[in-house]
Amino acid sequence: MSARTGRSGWATAAKIAWRESRAAWGKFAFVIAAVAVGVGALSGVRGFSGAFRNMLLRDARTLMAADLAVRMYHEPDAREQAALDEITARGAERTWITETVSMVSSDASPRPLMVAVKAVDPDVYPFYGKIELRGAASLKAALAQGAVVTDDLLVRLGVNLGDAVRLGDAEIPLAAVVTVEPDRMTGSFNVGPRLLLSRGNLDRTGLMQRGSRAAQRYLFKMPAQGGIDIATARGLLEKVFRPYWIADYRETHPTIRRGLDRATNFLSLVSLVALIVGALGVAMAMHSHLEQRLDTIAILKCIGARSGQIVRIYTLQTLALGVIGSALGILLGYGVQAWAPRFLAQYFPTPPNLEWQPVAAVQALAIGLLTTLLFSVPTLLRVRKIRPALIFRREMERRAKSVGERLREARGALVAGAVIVAAIGGVATWLGDSVQLGLWFAGGLLASLLVLATASWSLLAVLERLPHWLPFRLPTAIRHGVANLHRPGVHAEAVLTALGVGVTFTLSVYLIQTSVLDQMIKSAPPEMPNVFLMNVTRAEVEPLTQYLKDYPGVEEVELTPTIAARLEMVDGRPLAELNLGEDSRFAQTRGISWREDKPDEVDVLRGSWWTPEDKRSLVAVREDVAEELGVDVGSKLAWLAGRRNVEAEVANVFRAESIRPGASLHFMLNRAALEGAPAVFYGGVRIAPDKAVELQRDAFARFPTVLVLNAADVIRIVQDVVDQIAIVVQVISAFAILGGVIILTSSVVATRFRRVRETAILRTLGATRSKVARIFSVEFTVLGLAAGALGALLASGFSALLLERVLDAAYEPALAPLLATVIGTALIANLAGWLASFRILGRKPLEVLRHE
Amino acid sequence: MSNPAPILEVRGLFKRIHSGTHEVEILRGVDFAVARGEALAIRGPSGSGKSTLLGILAGLDAPSLGSVWIDGEDITGLDEDALAILRARKIGFVFQSYQLVPTLTAEENVLLPLDLIGEGDRAGLARARELLDQVGLGERYDHYPVQLSGGEQQRVALARAFVNRPPLILADEPTGNLDSTTGAHVMQMLDELNRREGATLVLVTHDADLAARTERVITLQDGRIVSDERLAPAVSS
Repeated sequence: MSARTGRSGWATAAKIAWRESRAAWGKFAFVIAAVAVGVGALSGVRGFSGAFRNMLLRDARTLMAADLAVRMYHEPDAREQAALDEITARGAERTWITETVSMVSSDASPRPLMVAVKAVDPDVYPFYGKIELRGAASLKAALAQGAVVTDDLLVRLGVNLGDAVRLGDAEIPLAAVVTVEPDRMTGSFNVGPRLLLSRGNLDRTGLMQRGSRAAQRYLFKMPAQGGIDIATARGLLEKVFRPYWIADYRETHPTIRRGLDRATNFLSLVSLVALIVGALGVAMAMHSHLEQRLDTIAILKCIGARSGQIVRIYTLQTLALGVIGSALGILLGYGVQAWAPRFLAQYFPTPPNLEWQPVAAVQALAIGLLTTLLFSVPTLLRVRKIRPALIFRREMERRAKSVGERLREARGALVAGAVIVAAIGGVATWLGDSVQLGLWFAGGLLASLLVLATASWSLLAVLERLPHWLPFRLPTAIRHGVANLHRPGVHAEAVLTALGVGVTFTLSVYLIQTSVLDQMIKSAPPEMPNVFLMNVTRAEVEPLTQYLKDYPGVEEVELTPTIAARLEMVDGRPLAELNLGEDSRFAQTRGISWREDKPDEVDVLRGSWWTPEDKRSLVAVREDVAEELGVDVGSKLAWLAGRRNVEAEVANVFRAESIRPGASLHFMLNRAALEGAPAVFYGGVRIAPDKAVELQRDAFARFPTVLVLNAADVIRIVQDVVDQIAIVVQVISAFAILGGVIILTSSVVATRFRRVRETAILRTLGATRSKVARIFSVEFTVLGLAAGALGALLASGFSALLLERVLDAAYEPALAPLLATVIGTALIANLAGWLASFRILGRKPLEVLRHE
Repeated sequence: MSNPAPILEVRGLFKRIHSGTHEVEILRGVDFAVARGEALAIRGPSGSGKSTLLGILAGLDAPSLGSVWIDGEDITGLDEDALAILRARKIGFVFQSYQLVPTLTAEENVLLPLDLIGEGDRAGLARARELLDQVGLGERYDHYPVQLSGGEQQRVALARAFVNRPPLILADEPTGNLDSTTGAHVMQMLDELNRREGATLVLVTHDADLAARTERVITLQDGRIVSDERLAPAVSS
């Protein structure tokens, strides 16, 4: 029986809700539009950032030609082979690459040349990216004919395509020139020109005898769907192949890794901001919607409607608005996503793939509905308390209430508020996949709301009393405009708080974006060297430096000495006792170098850099090396360099953000430690990428023994990825900021309905249109200035906190954007207010009053 | 009508409201009873407390002191929902400013009280249309309030007040927003409906002519009853 009553109760409520909404589509359209903008901002930003992130990762993969790679210096034993096979058995693709160094010779040249040999399987290599060739259509076709080499090999050997060169026991014809080899930086034995060949040809050379020095590299491509994922595959490799080099595409280049990390964090953050801003839009719309229904609610109560019935009617109506608005919002978000890449095509050679993602759509719909309902709860709860006598006397009863009474009355709203903040924290955790981020977000939102509500309330209280304190009388327009903010029933606190929250989060996006971009540019300076010089003797340093400085287009020259040395002792213990494994990179003779001044790309993590006056032997150790050797500031290291013992104390542990092939940056000593040791110099110069090949030829003619490695194309990929990350960050921020501005506009527009009647009355009493306009302008300006100032203050604090705690970047305060925000908010408030009120002024007062 | 107990009884009613820093006493001890079928006018100058009294009678507002009995039940202790049910079953209300739901048509407005008690079915719709016919709006079922004149809106409100056959009709200055001709027409319809439906009418007005159309006039001044006179049988036109 009661179930039947319940069902018919809902049916009746649905009937009334439908009848009531049918006649007022105009007003409802506004609410739906606000919900749609909110959900659209959320789903658009989410979809955008997802697609862009995939695009960035795809580009990062090209630098490694794979998702995951492992490298060792021997052919795998049975146990190792089993691990490799397990990964492929679980759906991944694999290819095997062998790299070594050897000499090639030709009848055309008297001198043999050291080359970096690389054997690949052109059927599958590279998994990502493209080897660009001159002289052949495809890598497969070229390798079937013979070897593929870089331009400098032709120059140095004086040969042409079609000629054959001798490599080991084999004569191999040169089939094509490789112009871009995207994964060259992750290879090993990168000395000298490149020579690519097939495994069959490598076997023919006879170079791969037992004990030959070669690197074996296995590349993996993970299955697109299902099967093994990167983390699992990596775990399997680590169990068997530690301490060999294992890397996935996120670490192909430190600059890219950090850029991606920051961009990823930033993008999820912006999604969350879009969520807040969207929820705010929904909240404002629902608040003003239900506010306008108060009269109807009172009438319903007068003619016998119970609170439960009214709550049902408006819950259903709210739900319907939420569903329609959210659905439109998802379409809107998708439309923007679909349109934007066309517009962005000029920035992205291969625009992001956009796929209709049902999960994302359901997520946006759920969040849209959840926020719609959550934000209607406080108003719906108030429905219970609306006394029908409201019809006779709206909010006229304003007696002072005790704190206890206020708290009791606000209890429902406080509980609802707590639920809303908790739910937003939950959604933030869901979207950001991080409880920490969720907590920060809910905390930030709660703090902003509290600060804003308190500040708004105090400010309005001051404004209310201000005219009484002033010794003179303010002009009418200002008096009325200010008074408008604290009239009964105006709820200026709510508008001010909403505007303030909108400004806070929108400005935060801007401030955080600026800092993140700043850091990215710092870690990938455009003047990064792209042509590397190797095997420069001490005698050649002076003339080569001079030659390069005079060479047209060369921007910067830097030569670093390197001494071949083998690490012997760590803190007095022989290296053998450290159990690093016989393949450890430290077991071999490697280059160590000395430096007077700290290189720009180096960040000292612990300890400090030396001064030229320091006469002790000191060494700087790279972060990962320090960890592997278990040394820290104060530890003592000893090398054998030729016949000389070199001992040094660790002065600092550093992190370097760029790659310099040849000159290893594992250890840097001071001049005192290595003075007089026989050094070879390495260096890098920066030149326009299209001039790099020319420089290679010219430098060879003057300094035939110096190896010149052209990495311009690879460095350009790094730079491109960083540039793209920067554009993505800017585009997404712009979208989020635009969403914020639209929502701010709608908060002001929502106050329109109150103005209709007020304008009519003022004009009936003889106020000219311009007088009414001035009154409103004062009101909008005060609202905008106050919200802008509060929002700017909060945004500074919020950005500083997030940048330092979550994004690992420093916040640098700047006054200009804050001032621009305050002025901008006032302008937006005025503009929005005017757009909304413009028509009201044109209406005949009597017409308005009659219809009210 | 067989029940001799009064349909409405008011005992020792006081009402104070706080407005900003002031406390105003609007009603200062009001007592009276109304028999079934009676037509009563409450008169008084502006600010005498008439509308507040009517609001309390309908359970729309609560008294500060005293009690109101409707159909033998004390309504002063009831909660909002119980009051709503009481209004839905026993009271029809006519407002000075009509108070139609602007987003519902004339017919839907009249049907609303029946909808709320679950009787908005086919029979309910027929009843709503019958009442609209009786107030002369048979052609305007589908019009929205903004499409109707003030007099027409008030006629819709009359139909709505009577639709669920309440024993008690409360009317607050029902002609206050209308010109005298239209007002007289509306008042005549209210009279006729009241007689036909056998309800009890309590009418608040400051208009002596309007008050003179009823059988009994109570005059309020400064929140107190200053006179309670029974008139000769209505001088109905």
